[in-house]
Amino acid sequence: MIALWAVLGIGLALAFELALGRFAPAATHYVAVMTLPLTTYALRTSQRSSMVVGCASGLLQDFWVEPRLFGLNGLVKTILGWALGGIGARFDLNNFWGRFASGASVHLVDEGLQMMLRRMFGDAVVPVGLGALAIRGVAGGLLTAGVLSIVGKFGTSRRPARQKARRG
Amino acid sequence: MAAVSSARANALLLGVMSFAQLLLIAASVRGSVAASGTAATVGALSRPAASAGQSVSGIVMNVAHFFEDLHSDDVANVTLRREVTRLSGELDRTKELASENERLRRLLTMHEQLAPKSIGASVVTARLGSQSRVILVDRGSTDGVRPDMAVVTWGGAIGRVVSVEKGFARVRLLSDPNSGASGVIARSRAEGMVVGRGGEPMEMIYVPKYADVAVGDRIITSGLDGVFPRGFGLGRVTAVGEPIGATKSIRLEPEVDDRSIEDVLILLEPMGTQLLAGDEPEARP
Repeated sequence: MIALWAVLGIGLALAFELALGRFAPAATHYVAVMTLPLTTYALRTSQRSSMVVGCASGLLQDFWVEPRLFGLNGLVKTILGWALGGIGARFDLNNFWGRFASGASVHLVDEGLQMMLRRMFGDAVVPVGLGALAIRGVAGGLLTAGVLSIVGKFGTSRRPARQKARRG
Repeated sequence: MAAVSSARANALLLGVMSFAQLLLIAASVRGSVAASGTAATVGALSRPAASAGQSVSGIVMNVAHFFEDLHSDDVANVTLRREVTRLSGELDRTKELASENERLRRLLTMHEQLAPKSIGASVVTARLGSQSRVILVDRGSTDGVRPDMAVVTWGGAIGRVVSVEKGFARVRLLSDPNSGASGVIARSRAEGMVVGRGGEPMEMIYVPKYADVAVGDRIITSGLDGVFPRGFGLGRVTAVGEPIGATKSIRLEPEVDDRSIEDVLILLEPMGTQLLAGDEPEARP
């Protein structure tokens, strides 16, 4: 069942990403819609599932909009899924500010990791201005908080039993 | 104890997945069959979602156009402005072609092919990131599109095809940091290379220190890169930097706004580089 929801979520994110690129391409400079499935799974399920969901959504993004380095977004989002899934398993981030901070950091780290890997594989990279980074962080945080609050209305968190017990 | 072993298992899984994907990236850089096969599988699996996305965006665009059409005066105004832009672009290009024709006729007694083979395409989606700026167009290998073909619009040059699938092609825009096109300043004929800077304004580099450049000058493609034919607009000079060594760099405002590209022309063969059949010199006895 989790796999089915994951497929549905990733498919929706991809459809939204492509639609956004069609009628509001400027927005794609600031928001990374394909990070939403991994953030959702990192905050609501296990570290492992967020890695797998991150990897799948990243590879899809690579196929559709990455011109040269197929696997780049897959790798970046796998790492993000592992990191955020690990943090999400230790701390309760499933509230507005937790979601906002997670979304903002995922958007910023995604940009940083991509720059690093692109440089590693011989692509030219350009420095990103602080203003653009700030807008990206805030936009990503708000988008993530908004989407996760909607997702929260449709189902309950599937955190491992030990964590639920620890929370009491 | 269980938590520790789970964390280790996840770290191990991360290592394996990361290594596999690093191999995949390396394979795609080398153009390996393994990478293209994996990409094709991923593409086939995601096609239904992509089609849904295209349908949704199509509906949204239609609704937007419907409301746009309600303001008929505005529409007429916009149409006229577009027509003026199109005609001025055409005029610039015709002037450029005329001078090129003159030079070629004088030097080589050759003719210019005025009607290049090209194909129209619509933009399916765009990804305008700071490190990668790509559009997806709805023409692919079945329509004769191949990598490295030039993509233009009525305003000017916009990018080149980087990879092609059956029903679509990925076009790397000129504003992408990995893009470049050889350009010439229309007024003074100073040459240089126009490169993308992500979301920032494009730059023209390798312009000789003593070249005559002024703010407002129009830059067009010079045709020396072998991708873009001569005469397509690239942008206008907005700032001229201090010379560094023997060259100076120039900032320019792009001729075409990446955010408003809807329809494009893919040039199926380079223009002005082929002799017409009757112009080939006869073999000497």
